[in-house]
Amino acid sequence: MRLYAIFVYLFLYTPIAIIALFSFNAGRHASQLQGFSLKWYGTALSNPFVMDALETSIVVGLIAATLASLFGTMAAVALQGVRGPVRALFDMMIYVAVMIPGIVIGIATLIALVTAFDHLNPWLAAIWPTQSAPQLSMGKLSLIGAHTMFTMALVIIIVRARLSGMDRALTEASADLYATPMTTFLRVTLPLIAPAILAGFLLSFTFSFDDFIIAFFVAGSETTLPIYVFSSIRRGVTPEINAIGTMVLAVSLVLLIIAQLILRRSDNR
Amino acid sequence: MKDNGYLDDRSRAGLHPIAELRGVSKRFGDVLAADNLDLSISSGEFLSFLGPSGCGKTTALRMLAGFETPTSGEVLIDDQVVNDLEAHRRPVNMVFQSYALFPHLTVEQNIGYGLRQQRPRLGKDTIREKVGQALDVVRLSGFEKRRIWEMSGGQQQRVALARAIVNQPKLLLLDEPLAALDRKLRKEMQIELQDLQRQIGITFVLVTHDQEEALSLSDRVCVMGEGRIIQIGTPQELYDSPRSRYVADFVGTSNFFEGRVTASGAGRATVVLKNGMPVEGRVTAEAAPAGEACVSVRPEQIRLSRSDRTGIEVVVHNRIFLGEHTEYLVRNGTLGDFLVLSPRQSELNDGPFNTGETAWASWEAGSAVVLEKS
Repeated sequence: MRLYAIFVYLFLYTPIAIIALFSFNAGRHASQLQGFSLKWYGTALSNPFVMDALETSIVVGLIAATLASLFGTMAAVALQGVRGPVRALFDMMIYVAVMIPGIVIGIATLIALVTAFDHLNPWLAAIWPTQSAPQLSMGKLSLIGAHTMFTMALVIIIVRARLSGMDRALTEASADLYATPMTTFLRVTLPLIAPAILAGFLLSFTFSFDDFIIAFFVAGSETTLPIYVFSSIRRGVTPEINAIGTMVLAVSLVLLIIAQLILRRSDNR
Repeated sequence: MKDNGYLDDRSRAGLHPIAELRGVSKRFGDVLAADNLDLSISSGEFLSFLGPSGCGKTTALRMLAGFETPTSGEVLIDDQVVNDLEAHRRPVNMVFQSYALFPHLTVEQNIGYGLRQQRPRLGKDTIREKVGQALDVVRLSGFEKRRIWEMSGGQQQRVALARAIVNQPKLLLLDEPLAALDRKLRKEMQIELQDLQRQIGITFVLVTHDQEEALSLSDRVCVMGEGRIIQIGTPQELYDSPRSRYVADFVGTSNFFEGRVTASGAGRATVVLKNGMPVEGRVTAEAAPAGEACVSVRPEQIRLSRSDRTGIEVVVHNRIFLGEHTEYLVRNGTLGDFLVLSPRQSELNDGPFNTGETAWASWEAGSAVVLEKS
């Protein structure tokens, strides 16, 4: 059992370790270690295409994570008041949303949006006052939408776990002390679930920042960092790609660890 | 307005009722949690709801607080029907079983929470002053800036009390507030609660399943069972004149002897026990039971004797030394086992009884109560 576990971890982490190792390679070739160097990080960070893709990834990630945290929290709080079959239905849909493979979400979102745009664009052109009516197409907005939809389910699950762990007497006590439902939400519920919301935000950002599959389908002409990496790899794996990969990995790991720490710390209180 | 529980019903009627339940019922699905409750709570009194879990006592309290809406009947606070008044608009405050202190706020912020919701707004200084006074009352001055999780259970209990009394509510509702404390601390807090109630003169409504707590703290106790009010009275009334076997059994400890009523009248009845012995007792219910009945006698009312061979012949089955009292479990062939609590004083006369010894148990006619069989 123990040996088996060791092999699983080796299988999972060796490629990642090799990428990180080779990102510090001084030589040009990805297959041969020739001493330690940080120069590929410099190359990557001074490449305008990489920086563009990074900016897109960050902007999309921040907006999607913000929207997902906002709507996910609203949904989680609202679901607290729902009981019975309606609640069961929503619970099921949330878990399904998390479990569906990214490729299905990507294709489904693509088809849905393309169909919707095909119907909306002529209509939009007809009512637009000037000749040059805007064309709805795949791009940042569709990417943000798709990431928001997916990560919202994560936020709902995290925030709901926190809400259901909260003593119901706390909100009753607030009402008993003359606070209106709105004041109770702002002064008791929100501060107590804030760590969960923050953790949900970080996880959402991490997901969006890392995501390749969904982005590949719905990003249109936009290039996110994972999409850039994918298209560069077709021209061969360079140490620069290794450096980018390692940086993405580092950012994701740090955010995930912070999210975990926030959740654990707030549970101990 | 302290009456120490000795006001009779007539003089109590003159007191202004601060809250009333009129024919209040509450149904949760198939369960009737409160069944046609009628109760008037006088201003300044200390009233307890006493009963086992699931008897409807907490539901009654939550309807006063506004967390539950009655299915039928009326809840009145200060002569106003408040059925549809939301909890945050009611002039009552509650001390929760779990204390429900806000973990993200300091002690000071917790206590000032209710004051900060008042409109027109209170000044910062006024709030600080009132919070300071409340902390003083519960003897926690100097703990203003503490976090809740830095406080012990007993201290948290006092913060919860201070948070409620600082708003000077018309009713202070306490939902098993001492249940989470250990025995010694609970005793201390019981005394503190009673002192506090005398000091601030707010009407207290306590929910408890601990009969000792209800008896020692309250002016009146409302004994509940299966959603209904079984009997309301001062602790002494409930103890001395229970109107049902349920109350006699739940309030204090009692021995029950079953038999048949052979004669009754003028508040008395004679019951022939299973061993053929006639016993006279008081009738506390509105009418004397007919046919099957039971006689309730408190363990401390029964006298054990060696020399005086009247009453019931028993064999001492077990003896527990309790310091100023000795508790005997005695056995009679036909009547079964029962308890006798005998004071040290009487043992000086007759000496302690040993296990296996034969003795005679008897009691004064006035100390027995004749009740319905169940």
